Amino acid sequence: MKSELELRNVQQRFHARGVAAGYITAVDDVSFTLAAQPPQVVSLVGQSGSGKSTIARNVLGLQKPTSGSVLYGGKDIFKLSRAEYDAYRRDVQPVFQDPYAIFNPFYRVDRVLWKAVNKFGLTKSRSKGLALIEESLRAVRLEPENVLGRYPHQLSGGQRQRIMLARVHMLRPSFIIADEPVSMLDAQVRKHFLDILLDFQREHGMTTLFITHDLSTVYYLGGEVMVITKGEIVERGPVSTVMHEPSHPYTKLLLDSIPQPDPDRRWTNRITVDELEDQERADAKAAPAPEAPIL
Amino acid sequence: MPMRILIAVLRTIRNSPRLAIGLAILLVMVLVAVFSPLIVKGIGGSTDPLELAAYERWLVPGPDHLLGTDQFGRDVLAMVVSALSVSLQIGAIAGVISTVVGVIVAFVAGYKGGWIDGILSTFTGILLVIPTFPLLIALSAYAKNVSLFQVGVMISIFSWPFAAKTIRAQVLSLRSRPYVDLARVSKARDLEIITTELLPNLLPFIGVGFASSALGAIFGLVGLEVIGLGPGGVIDLGQIIFNAINTGALTLGAWPMFVVPIVLLTLLFAALNMVNIGLEEVYNPRLRGVAGE
Repeated sequence: MKSELELRNVQQRFHARGVAAGYITAVDDVSFTLAAQPPQVVSLVGQSGSGKSTIARNVLGLQKPTSGSVLYGGKDIFKLSRAEYDAYRRDVQPVFQDPYAIFNPFYRVDRVLWKAVNKFGLTKSRSKGLALIEESLRAVRLEPENVLGRYPHQLSGGQRQRIMLARVHMLRPSFIIADEPVSMLDAQVRKHFLDILLDFQREHGMTTLFITHDLSTVYYLGGEVMVITKGEIVERGPVSTVMHEPSHPYTKLLLDSIPQPDPDRRWTNRITVDELEDQERADAKAAPAPEAPIL
Repeated sequence: MPMRILIAVLRTIRNSPRLAIGLAILLVMVLVAVFSPLIVKGIGGSTDPLELAAYERWLVPGPDHLLGTDQFGRDVLAMVVSALSVSLQIGAIAGVISTVVGVIVAFVAGYKGGWIDGILSTFTGILLVIPTFPLLIALSAYAKNVSLFQVGVMISIFSWPFAAKTIRAQVLSLRSRPYVDLARVSKARDLEIITTELLPNLLPFIGVGFASSALGAIFGLVGLEVIGLGPGGVIDLGQIIFNAINTGALTLGAWPMFVVPIVLLTLLFAALNMVNIGLEEVYNPRLRGVAGE
């Protein structure tokens, strides 16, 4: 049975100095459900500071929400039994933004893959483990001999990010939480990476929560999209609908911000989020939320 | 794995002459200290050169006694050799205790954060501002016949906060690294994350913490001995200096009693500091002489 991942009225506050309320609200009353079946790509779009990475940390169980709950298979992920926790960890796996910081510089890159083999009990035998690792590296179009035994600084950003995908490939989770996975990759590697994600969806039935600020990658991936600003999801629906008939002013602003590869359609006026905020000030209530938790 | 560490260490040393010189001096001193019983025996031959009245008093340096003898007729070279061993021992005792305590406190505070961090950091801060040396004098004057180990413990009580403070700052910056998050979603427990993800990256800081605590302890003991409040039954470099001052050794031509311990202490100080600076140079890219590698 494939499980569902559900966020129910999740709110995340962080203590902050110099703010009137003493805290800032990074995620405000967010609810959505990711279904494992049928496998799909759901994009979460918003500018920096809109709370999208915090949602990723909530979903991955790295940050306990202030209120509301994250449910896996109907149960709160912070109250799972041992067996349920193991299933949840196996089933919900991340790809993070920064392909440089994701590796501990002290170790070779193999360690990340071996950790996955050992921690999740994929196999006990070393030779089978190596076979699994090589198979997964090939699945993300990496040559095992080019990456195994290397240190993180000896590989390119694209290679490192694909090793993360190889890790996901080995674990075959139902859900991939991809937090800005392509924002630090160049255009060609980016397409490569997105294609692998789509492959995973088709071949292994993985559902991806794709978090990004870049609408062109959302276009490319298709599926569903949610637009988040200031911690609130303001619009959701199929990519084609949201992109062509945006209903929220913030979505329109985002759409206008996609650079067009056409000199005649270069931006002539400057639109800033601040102006939009001025328009919205009447009903604005939340302070701008930071991307990273302030501790 | 051990091979790899060895190669990495050798490469590090080769890239930093300071570190290499510091380590070489330390190594020689440690070797002398380790073999001090043998060396003392070699100097004395059939008689114990550290025995009272083993030789005549106040012999000037000569072929029989390279550094002369003291007011009780002991061989100064033998005394210096065994005193070096005592000084290094106190450094090792206090260095190990304060590093271990400092590292544990730093990791718990930095990794757990919240109120635990608040309490531990406040406590560390309080200990930091206590003037150590006067308190040490009071403690050793109060406790009669303290042993070397007890002095080591007393000194470490006040030297671990320095190590704890620097390491905690590093843990704070490391614990929010993405690779820690990755370890957490790979079902690693806190202790495993601390030992396998954080600790290796902090080894240079721990090394610096050890070196400075050891140095502090050695000089703390010298300070106590020079004013005559050291532990009983052992001779360290400070006590030789104390004797030299007390008996006016310099006026009697027994200059080695005064000069040699001071030279050794200076060398030790220089060596440990060179290791400190060398480690910082190697691990802090901003201090590297040449960009890149």
